[in-house]
Amino acid sequence: MDKNDHNLNRRQFLKSGAIAIGALAAVGAGVGYLQKVTAESRINQKFLRPPGALDETTFIYGCIKCGLCVQICPIQAIKLGGIKDGLAYGTPYIDVREQACDFSCDSMQCVETCPTAVLYFKQFKDEGEKAIAEYDKTHRNDPDYNPFPVQITAMKAIVKMGMAEVKPDICLAYAGKGFKGTPRGTDFKGVNRSPYTGEAKATPVADKIYNEEICNLCVKECPIGDTAIVMESSGGMLVPKVLSGCTGCGVCVMVCPTEEPSIIIEPIKA
Amino acid sequence: MFGNKNKTPLPVRNKEELPHVKEGLTLKEWRSNHKNKHKWRTRRWAVLIGMNLLFFLSFFFDLSILEGSLSGSRLLGFYLMDPFNTAQELAISFLTGHWPLLTMNYIIGILTIIIFYALMGGRSFCSWICPYHFLAEWSEKLHNYLVKKKKIKEHTFNISLRWVFWVGFVLLAIFTKELVFENLNPVGILSRAIIYGPGLILLWILILIIFEIVYSKRFWCRYVCPIGATYSMIGHVTPVTIRFDLDKCAHCLDCQQVCLVPHELWFVKKGAATDVTHTTGSDCTRCGLCVDVCPGDALKFTIKGLDKIT
Repeated sequence: MDKNDHNLNRRQFLKSGAIAIGALAAVGAGVGYLQKVTAESRINQKFLRPPGALDETTFIYGCIKCGLCVQICPIQAIKLGGIKDGLAYGTPYIDVREQACDFSCDSMQCVETCPTAVLYFKQFKDEGEKAIAEYDKTHRNDPDYNPFPVQITAMKAIVKMGMAEVKPDICLAYAGKGFKGTPRGTDFKGVNRSPYTGEAKATPVADKIYNEEICNLCVKECPIGDTAIVMESSGGMLVPKVLSGCTGCGVCVMVCPTEEPSIIIEPIKA
Repeated sequence: MFGNKNKTPLPVRNKEELPHVKEGLTLKEWRSNHKNKHKWRTRRWAVLIGMNLLFFLSFFFDLSILEGSLSGSRLLGFYLMDPFNTAQELAISFLTGHWPLLTMNYIIGILTIIIFYALMGGRSFCSWICPYHFLAEWSEKLHNYLVKKKKIKEHTFNISLRWVFWVGFVLLAIFTKELVFENLNPVGILSRAIIYGPGLILLWILILIIFEIVYSKRFWCRYVCPIGATYSMIGHVTPVTIRFDLDKCAHCLDCQQVCLVPHELWFVKKGAATDVTHTTGSDCTRCGLCVDVCPGDALKFTIKGLDKIT
């Protein structure tokens, strides 16, 4: 390589290097701008992150968009966002109206599979171990010793994806109405494991037939139970009331029979 | 990086020493005697399509063999991590204090990838796994055709440009606390599109491909892609490589014509070789196109160390 060649090469490198740095700066400025304009909507994001998600700011950089949580979910509750979700492109979310997280996997595997721990498993592991230790104290010598239900109950209890909120103006129970039939029509694809039937797996919501005098589907189907939502009499009527144990799993939203769901999940603020 | 290059080249050989002359043929006859069976290309495409298909099928039929996507995956339960993604993730994590939370699986994943590609060498990920490479390989053919027909002009840049992009994308990740590159990364985008279904973001891939066809050959792969650059760093000292035998070479340059990274075959030019054998460097994608095309078998896959035994 003679000297002229070398100089030419260097000039070419400097020139295209300058263009590259310009392009990177433009990308950076674009990202910065998007971050600024979407800052508020990010913190008040309307979609739910999977269980155990860290705060949104950490989540955005920690998630490598591999989709392992999507693949491991047995009921396909988790989906990946498209570019319409801004810079959240490729990150997982749960659309509870279409398919809520009903905990029928009984193991929090989406959280456990996350390699970067933005779905943070340690908190669940610790909580589960604590519950098992507690259970061991009293049940160690039982013939039907089985710590797993205790473990998963403890793990489920600390999930906090959001909080349910009842909308009294459209809720059937608030109007004193009952509900008969299938809540979401026969071609609805969502599945759910009903806690009162003892079924082992989630079954299609479309197969479930209800006959309730006062609509209480949200309470009946809640996988957490009476620490999360109960029917309470208020002004002589039985209406659903959300309690602090609500995990925001969204099963109530999925089974709500009104056209527009009369119960919604407000995601937790980052 | 180019250790051998700075040595003095061997003197140009006499005509009698060239392989086609020894066989008593003209260069043209000698070249046309060689039938290219595309052995390595067939194998490579089979692996590339097979791996991406395995990703797709694992999710589609719930096979659980190869889960996740090319940004991060699990092969039969063992994690595999994209190295550049990891570089960005670690850079941000160290600054924000998120790093102690990273799982053991994550560390196993990145170490597995580093060890595997340190053994397989160079940018072998690119031509054997990357789905964008597959598209780019076809658009490169189209580009070459258009250049030959004089419909378009060739534009080249300095290949060191990718280091500017590499550092730039890491800095961007640090400043914005986002995996900025992952939003532009055609490898991840295509992999996710194959596995989880297409989205609007595929328009970005279309723009890149069109740019590569009409303006600059393999623009993204050569001058930008920091993933490829990372693999190029990992696969520096490596046993699997392409070995060049000066004795069998007639300097027909067919190999440089088909090579995806022609600067790695600098030693095939007449009077360029500094030694009787050479091996390709870390930018070589181990695609085997040159092995397929070489009329004199001067280029061959080899495993350093093992080749001396057999």
